Amino acid sequence: MSKLNHIEQSLIRIWALAKFELIRLFLTKRGMVAILAFVTAWFIILYYPVNSAVNIVSSDNFRDMVEDTFGILGLSALLNWQVSEFTIYWLIALYFFPVFALGASSDQTCADRTRGTLRFISLRATRNEIILGRFIGQVVIIAILILLTLVATTTLAWWRESALLVPALLKASQLFIQLIIIVLPFIALTSFFNSFLRSAKLTSVVTLLFFGLGSLLIGLISYQLSSANYLNYIFPGVQLSDVVGQDKLTVVDFLIPLIQTCCYLALASMFMKRSAL
Amino acid sequence: MIISPNNSPLIKVSQLSKIFSNKQALDKVNFEIVKGEPVALVGPNGAGKTTLFSLICGYIQPSAGQISILGHQAGSAATFGKIAALPQDAQLDPRFSIAHQLKFYAQLQGFNKKKSQFEAERTLELVGLKEVLNEKPDSLSHGMRKRVTIAQALIGTPEIVMLDEATAGLDPLHAREVRQLVANLSSEITFILSSHDLSELERLCQQILFLEHGVLRQHQNSSNDSSNQKQQTFITLQMANNIPQFEQSLLAIAQVSNVVQTQDKEYLLTVNPSIKLTNDHIPIDIQILKLCHDNKWIYRQLINGKTLENRLFN
Repeated sequence: MSKLNHIEQSLIRIWALAKFELIRLFLTKRGMVAILAFVTAWFIILYYPVNSAVNIVSSDNFRDMVEDTFGILGLSALLNWQVSEFTIYWLIALYFFPVFALGASSDQTCADRTRGTLRFISLRATRNEIILGRFIGQVVIIAILILLTLVATTTLAWWRESALLVPALLKASQLFIQLIIIVLPFIALTSFFNSFLRSAKLTSVVTLLFFGLGSLLIGLISYQLSSANYLNYIFPGVQLSDVVGQDKLTVVDFLIPLIQTCCYLALASMFMKRSAL
Repeated sequence: MIISPNNSPLIKVSQLSKIFSNKQALDKVNFEIVKGEPVALVGPNGAGKTTLFSLICGYIQPSAGQISILGHQAGSAATFGKIAALPQDAQLDPRFSIAHQLKFYAQLQGFNKKKSQFEAERTLELVGLKEVLNEKPDSLSHGMRKRVTIAQALIGTPEIVMLDEATAGLDPLHAREVRQLVANLSSEITFILSSHDLSELERLCQQILFLEHGVLRQHQNSSNDSSNQKQQTFITLQMANNIPQFEQSLLAIAQVSNVVQTQDKEYLLTVNPSIKLTNDHIPIDIQILKLCHDNKWIYRQLINGKTLENRLFN
């Protein structure tokens, strides 16, 4: 009973921390600027490529280009989607949201640590609760934004042809779950970097170096030692080329990001426990 | 070292050491603090006060030794809501209103939305800043921000509140208000105060932890002062002016066995009560006042015992 009570208290604290992240995005100037940039970018995406999806996808030129250029990735399966808007949406969202998640979640705990605010919080929540609360907060934010773009895309398809509403809703639900799973390790990666870095800018720079120099280094090692290719699994998004075509999706495609998320959160917990506040 | 063996300790520190890259910040520190009067944590810069403070709050991990807060490990969930702190230089988030942040801290402590609003208002009222509830930290002066951070430490019903340099940067009036607040709440909360202002600590604290070079030099309270010094007591006399041959005049009083000028116009008198009274049983303090009165010497303050400064450094 007592243990259950502890778990309940812990969950209450984690949710309080997560909710505060939502407020941080929607009620602060910096958050509002980020939302404004997001809305502008997606307005352009929805207005031009997604809105013209039927013409683009059905054009012979596009089909030839996809089959010639991306056929190896199995993108041709996307051309058969009933709701063409989602074909273009998926191709953009798959790469947009991970990059956006990296930027939006770059300040989870580092500014609070530098300012000393984390000292106030750590007398009321454990370090693991802080990491999890902030992580969940960021996931909820990205989920809301993904949901908004899916609703907008569904509306566009419905606007074009009312019979597309149900298939569009079904496809939107499917893509929502997939996109959430895809962005999880990206947010967990910044949680990890935040556990020892002291600013959002530094986190962004280290993230860039991680993906840039990291893949270069692994490429060089793999050149000498082919088994080193497995090191690529440290990179969130390593499975993106397999899922982009939406053809022959396997459980592994979802397990990889989930395992990566758990690993990065575990690392964040280890580093956070040792770090001085 | 135990202050009061009758009460279970709020804080128990055993063989506590902290090393920062080859620098010994704390060296085998032992003490216990029980519920009661405010405790002063004093020492020169670099003595290890902030390190000790951070260890007790769980901000950093010890290199060796143990800390027990109300029987639990420092920083563990069991201590949440029971220990609160104003860490030196820690600031609230400038992007959110004071109310928002205090309510958030209250919610982390388990208060619901309505009660957290009440707690935010109650604690701000305690520090005399209820009117800034909806302000953002950046719109407040340094002193006001400090008082708001003191307010966050008073959310709920903490048993221990640690204030690191709580009155530094405050104007005299507000520093006095903070001291008054500590004095008023000290029957419910055990405060641990770190400050360089010894006169402030003297007014508030009966228990002293004196750190020097990471070592606990003294750990005392008024009761063990008196128990150790039954054979002799002290009187501190602060004069308005310098008086020639003043020490000799004081030594002429039979019970005064020694006089030391501790600083400008301040004298520490060692009084031996076992010496037989010669002046018709007139108490020693009355004799000193009479001496000043007869010679038209103006005294500023007569203190029964040593000042905190003299207790630590003389």
